[in-house]
Amino acid sequence: MAWTEAHVERLFWRAGFGATRAEAERFAKAGRAAAIAHVVDGPGNGPLLAGPAPRNDGKRLNPANEWGDDVLWWLDRMVRSRYPLQEKMTLFWHDHFATSDQDTPLMLRQNQLFRRNALGSFRTLLRGVGNDPAMQMFLSLADSDKDAPNENFARELMELFGLGSGYTEEDIRQAARALTGFESHWDDSGFLGITFNPERHDGGVKRIFGQSGRFMPADVLDLVMAHPRHAPFLVSKLWSFFITAPPPGAAVSSLARVYRGSGLQIKPVVRAILGHPALYSRLGAPDMVKAPVVYVAGSMRQTGTFVTDGAPVWMMEGMGQELFSPPSVAGWDWGPAWMSSNAMRVRFDWANHLLRHGGLNVADDTGDPVLTPDQALAAALAAAGRPHVSGTALTKLRTLAVTARRGLPDGDDKWEVRERVERATMLQRSLRHLLISGPDGQLH
Amino acid sequence: MNLRVLAAAVVFAPAAIALPADAARPQARAAGGSVGIAEREFRISVYRRTVAPGTVRFNVRNFGEDVHDFAVVTRGGRIVRQTQAIAAGTTRTLPVRLGAGVYRLICTTADHDARGMHARIRVGR
Repeated sequence: MAWTEAHVERLFWRAGFGATRAEAERFAKAGRAAAIAHVVDGPGNGPLLAGPAPRNDGKRLNPANEWGDDVLWWLDRMVRSRYPLQEKMTLFWHDHFATSDQDTPLMLRQNQLFRRNALGSFRTLLRGVGNDPAMQMFLSLADSDKDAPNENFARELMELFGLGSGYTEEDIRQAARALTGFESHWDDSGFLGITFNPERHDGGVKRIFGQSGRFMPADVLDLVMAHPRHAPFLVSKLWSFFITAPPPGAAVSSLARVYRGSGLQIKPVVRAILGHPALYSRLGAPDMVKAPVVYVAGSMRQTGTFVTDGAPVWMMEGMGQELFSPPSVAGWDWGPAWMSSNAMRVRFDWANHLLRHGGLNVADDTGDPVLTPDQALAAALAAAGRPHVSGTALTKLRTLAVTARRGLPDGDDKWEVRERVERATMLQRSLRHLLISGPDGQLH
Repeated sequence: MNLRVLAAAVVFAPAAIALPADAARPQARAAGGSVGIAEREFRISVYRRTVAPGTVRFNVRNFGEDVHDFAVVTRGGRIVRQTQAIAAGTTRTLPVRLGAGVYRLICTTADHDARGMHARIRVGR
């Protein structure tokens, strides 16, 4: 397979939040294997975050106690991380194990669980999720006892987290019995923690997936992971996070073998998906809609913009994605569902925000009227981080640059010079805006 | 799984609720500060248990299904300040200037306080 800057850009967008021009050039030269290794294994030594620490209107973030600072805290990691795949996979798990309406400190704790295990052992991750207070309270696993087993967690464990199919209602009921015994503790200032109380656990024999035993909570998780439907289910979902076309049967079988062969490790599966030719199809016509947080974090990385205010919080919400608050246990609807008319308007507003406050900014009266249309377009492309632009869009942008010069006075009077500068300023703003907000900017 | 190990793994003290490593932690010497509050039937959770004297901003989110409110009450039972009704799924911020002491945080709606919607916060250095 040939390996070009277009391949690097596709890889870095799907596995993270885009590639800078320098990265595209460097990893096009380094080759396919080196590029994939860099993305999957991370930067190695050195600080994980690069760039100025986040602020919200001049103040340090206080994620647990200030509105929106939790979202800004995570967005900042996506913008500044030197290991973007780790954040992208944290986002994947946040959607996969969708949890909401829980105390902010618990949601932050869960987010750290996802990040810590983002590319590690699924067994470790699932056990962590099974013990996670936010999840336990969201799906009523906490305080489910032998006298009234709550089926919520058992049901989602099979339907959404681990299998998708291949189980019965009776399997859910029996698993719910095996999952009883967790007990939440509170005092007069709130939540203290969760313990396992054997007195509240159903210690009887349960029959799950045709096997009988006095199963405990961890046994239920193991039974799900040992189920023949588990590996195809999980690798298919991982595939769909990175590639729009459905996975061919042979790819699912191959990825499932990788997954089982590695002892349920996530990283080898992701590495195989990122190396699959399907990821690099139609390089000139990207077809995956950027999720709102990918659009925002990606454009911030592209334009050298950092977290300085709370605007991304409400703007991403307006685009349909409120981090730490997925709409249901099934997570968000991805793909074209992101492109509602209102969401697209807010995406347009986001480009305005970058123009006013971010790295796309063009100060008043700084446009260079001497630039040719091609030079003006080149300057805008550089400011916007040289994003992917289709040939059609480039032609239209160039036409805009040509049109902007029409009817301009060419004299040396002060008002004539000023009008040319103002027109050049407006042109530069328009080009930069359209490079981020136009149709090509919404896809990767 | 060993039950004792599991229990040890899932219990965590309030002080151990982990903030991100690079997040701002409560500033013991800063005046006042922000305190996250969660309300639901029928509990109030306080994300910081101690705050410095000064103007304290209570950021209240109603995670419940019913309408609640939020009030700061002295030990003697006097309401220092309270919000208007907070609809389910919405938020309110209540700034209150507080001196050193222990305050009750309650929902004054119907019998919600008696049913468990109360908490405490210590204001001091």
